[in-house]
Amino acid sequence: MVPVGACLGLSAVLFGIGLIGFLGRRNIILMLVSLEIMLNAVNVNLAAFGHYLQDQRGQILALFVIAVAAAEAAVGLGLVIALSRNRPGVSVEDLTQLKW
Amino acid sequence: MPILAGQIAFYYLAAASIASAILAVTRRNPVHSMLWVLALFLHVAGIFLLVGAEFLAAVQVIVYAGAILVFYLFFLMLLDLPREEAGPPFGAHWPLCAAAGLAFAALAWYAREPGLLPAREGVAVGGPSPGNISAVGMALFTQFALPFEIASLVLLAAMVGAIVVARRKTES
Repeated sequence: MVPVGACLGLSAVLFGIGLIGFLGRRNIILMLVSLEIMLNAVNVNLAAFGHYLQDQRGQILALFVIAVAAAEAAVGLGLVIALSRNRPGVSVEDLTQLKW
Repeated sequence: MPILAGQIAFYYLAAASIASAILAVTRRNPVHSMLWVLALFLHVAGIFLLVGAEFLAAVQVIVYAGAILVFYLFFLMLLDLPREEAGPPFGAHWPLCAAAGLAFAALAWYAREPGLLPAREGVAVGGPSPGNISAVGMALFTQFALPFEIASLVLLAAMVGAIVVARRKTES
């Protein structure tokens, strides 16, 4: 019903938007959210291939991706809390301690 | 007619999700960004429904839109960000980032009609159709039982790790 090529094109565009957000935004929380957009694009890809090949393994892989995304959100936001305790603001341009 | 309706629904969902993703990435106010991401997640759940992944659509709404995004919103409200609205939303190197993202999207778009093996029709004749929750559950608890348990371990490790990282240091 839905052509697989259209799903893959949608996934490519969403992943590109998420990549722009991840590389370009200054707010570290919005960088993490852009990461979630990219993971969603991957999930669209997996579900589209599962539909195309008539195989439910694509959906199962997407479920694991969602579980890992939840883990990533927990750890990433814990790091943001630890960071914001030491310095005000969450702009990545202030985090230059590791810069050589 | 159902095929045409499905295609119209797909193109609506695709256009709406791309528009809300662009708005989410470019809004200056982080809370507005989050709300556009919520719209994106709900539209992606609709796409999952269209490609026959009902369980994935439910998980998308419950876990992504219901849990992860609310978690992010709580964080935004915990750390108040008055100065975020003043500065530019993008860093100084944003043209390079935009070029990287557009180049990747163009590459993946170019490869979107893959020379795949043809779709197999009627593999699951007689059984439940592959999109069904029962088929997904069967595969998840038989063939993928070990990865399923490992996913629970990953979540446990993330929970403990987040608590350890975010905990206030106590002087003993």
